[in-house]
Amino acid sequence: MRSPEAILCESLARRFGERDALAGVDLSVAEGETVLITGPNGAGKTTLLRILATVLRPSSGRVAVAGRDLPAGAPDVRRSVGYAGHDALAYPDLTARENLELYAALYDVPDGRVDEELDRVGLDGRRGDRTAELSRGMLQRLALARIGLHRPSIVLLDEPTAGLDADGRDVLRGFLAEPGRTILAATHEPEWFAGLENRLVAMDAGRVTA
Amino acid sequence: MAHTARLDRATAATLVAALLMPAAVALIFFYVPSDVDQGYSQRIFYLHVQIALTTYTIFGGGAVNAARYLWTGREELDLQSYVPMHLGVIFGSLTLITGSIWAHISWGTWWDWGSRELNTFLIIFLFYCAYFMLRFSVEPGERRARYSAVYALLGVGLIPLSVLAVRIAQDALHPIVFRSNGVNMDGSMFLTFLVALAAMLSLAVSMYLVEMRGKRVDERMAQLRRLARGAA
Amino acid sequence: MNGRAVRALIRKDVLVELRGREVVPSMAVFVGAAFVLFRFGLGGTELAGGTRAATGMLWVAIVFTALVGLSRAFAHEREGRTWDGLLAAPVDRALFWFARTCSTFLFLVAVQVLALPAFWLFFLQEQAGPSYPVLVAAVLLADVGIACLGSLLAGLASSVRAREVLLPALYLPFSIPLVLTAVRVTTDTIPPQTSGLETLERLGFLALYDTVFALLGWALFEYVVED
Repeated sequence: MRSPEAILCESLARRFGERDALAGVDLSVAEGETVLITGPNGAGKTTLLRILATVLRPSSGRVAVAGRDLPAGAPDVRRSVGYAGHDALAYPDLTARENLELYAALYDVPDGRVDEELDRVGLDGRRGDRTAELSRGMLQRLALARIGLHRPSIVLLDEPTAGLDADGRDVLRGFLAEPGRTILAATHEPEWFAGLENRLVAMDAGRVTA
Repeated sequence: MAHTARLDRATAATLVAALLMPAAVALIFFYVPSDVDQGYSQRIFYLHVQIALTTYTIFGGGAVNAARYLWTGREELDLQSYVPMHLGVIFGSLTLITGSIWAHISWGTWWDWGSRELNTFLIIFLFYCAYFMLRFSVEPGERRARYSAVYALLGVGLIPLSVLAVRIAQDALHPIVFRSNGVNMDGSMFLTFLVALAAMLSLAVSMYLVEMRGKRVDERMAQLRRLARGAA
Repeated sequence: MNGRAVRALIRKDVLVELRGREVVPSMAVFVGAAFVLFRFGLGGTELAGGTRAATGMLWVAIVFTALVGLSRAFAHEREGRTWDGLLAAPVDRALFWFARTCSTFLFLVAVQVLALPAFWLFFLQEQAGPSYPVLVAAVLLADVGIACLGSLLAGLASSVRAREVLLPALYLPFSIPLVLTAVRVTTDTIPPQTSGLETLERLGFLALYDTVFALLGWALFEYVVED
């Protein structure tokens, strides 16, 4: 079933054992919108993003990304979604370049884009360094390079401003300003995004409160 | 509201088992003639083989429900797969114990490493134990159900491979129960065999239904507790 | 089947191992220690049980060594939390299992390239041993089976807290038919030998074992990999 929104959640719930991480989330994000999700730790922001990234299955309720219902339509949706999680999602023993080459292969994009993205985020000088040696800010930039590789139309960011250095701030702004991209970002710093047109959604205890 | 006494499945099955078991015991110990070679104590055969067959049947049911759980994700199938596996450990232990007794009676040893069936059963019993370990190592929930179902299905691959491997590795000393051209027993023995088998299966089914009933009550209680917590 | 993705995943496993050097060295140390202990346990000058016992013990060592290696499988994905990145990619979950199976196979072979000559040195030098082609064939076939099932079980156990104890316990029942047949096929080639047909039959069983667990691993991995 197709829906015009980029992201649609209806009574989305997710349980881990006895705990309800998501207790019925209703959310709708239109194409090209930027939506910020705020809320205390444990509100379920990361769980929501992981479900939208098709990394986690919902326990109940409806969730559709790019017009496809999950989890059935997950394989078709993955190519359009970029997910930058809480952790760097990089292998510490591999170099920046090797990490990106792995993802270039997984997303089936030309290897040339790896260098392009490393340039774009300003890590071209560190491409041969193991990611264990990179600072937190550089790892954040590497994550942005990783999700840039396959030019996704929907981008999911979990605390993108945490640990960001000065160069990273510019890169992130540039990333967010790109037209046509749907962005959903969980953040503790919504003020940072002022200047970019956005909508605020508040979450608490597994539900959307505002 | 008039309260009509109705027999639920668990109680009905238990009644059937309660009828069949004494019947089987009576047949085994008083009706069937003694074995020519092994004497009175050979009668344990009627228990051992039925328990073994029942164990295989239980396991089959558990595996089928495991596959159905993975396919549909319906929560109750997890329980319907786990309880048979759990009963399988009980019946499996009984198989090994009765097998050991029979080995002692027949050959004077408490365990016969040369026996095909006993060795195959040992492997499967170890599999059941590992299943239990898995079950206890993961917190209850969807993940535990998934992992249990996967492991149960791996067991489906294990059984025929074990039978084959044991056969390849050694010669059989275990008496063959069913010959390829017919059953190696006379009429009264066959009757006893079947009644005892029916008794064992009904015992297994009644234990399954009773346990399921108990687990459903547990689950209902847990649900109520959750609702109460949510409302508070 | 996305060949590029599989190659990249195997390459990642190999690079991580080359740089971190965790799996292969620990397996090599383990198998070396096992051989030394077996040698002294079986008798310093005169091998108790002869080469038959030694060959049997070889298979025990192979299985336990493999478990040592498998305990580190997916460790990086779990510790570095890189699973989310991999799972978000448009790649069939079974390919993660397949790539891990291939890299596990490579690590097993790497250790055995050292272990088999060591085995010869410790146990077989003067006496008649098993037929080497059959031994190598059996080892390779066993490696495939261990890698297939081991990768699936390692994926399952990796997210469980008691994984160090759980993985060997889960694997043990499945190792029995493997070891039973492998021991039989290799010791039966020690003179006086049994017929070549029986050897073929037993090697065939190992191939069947591999096929069964390759199919099950391929089909079931997606159910163990997600949270």
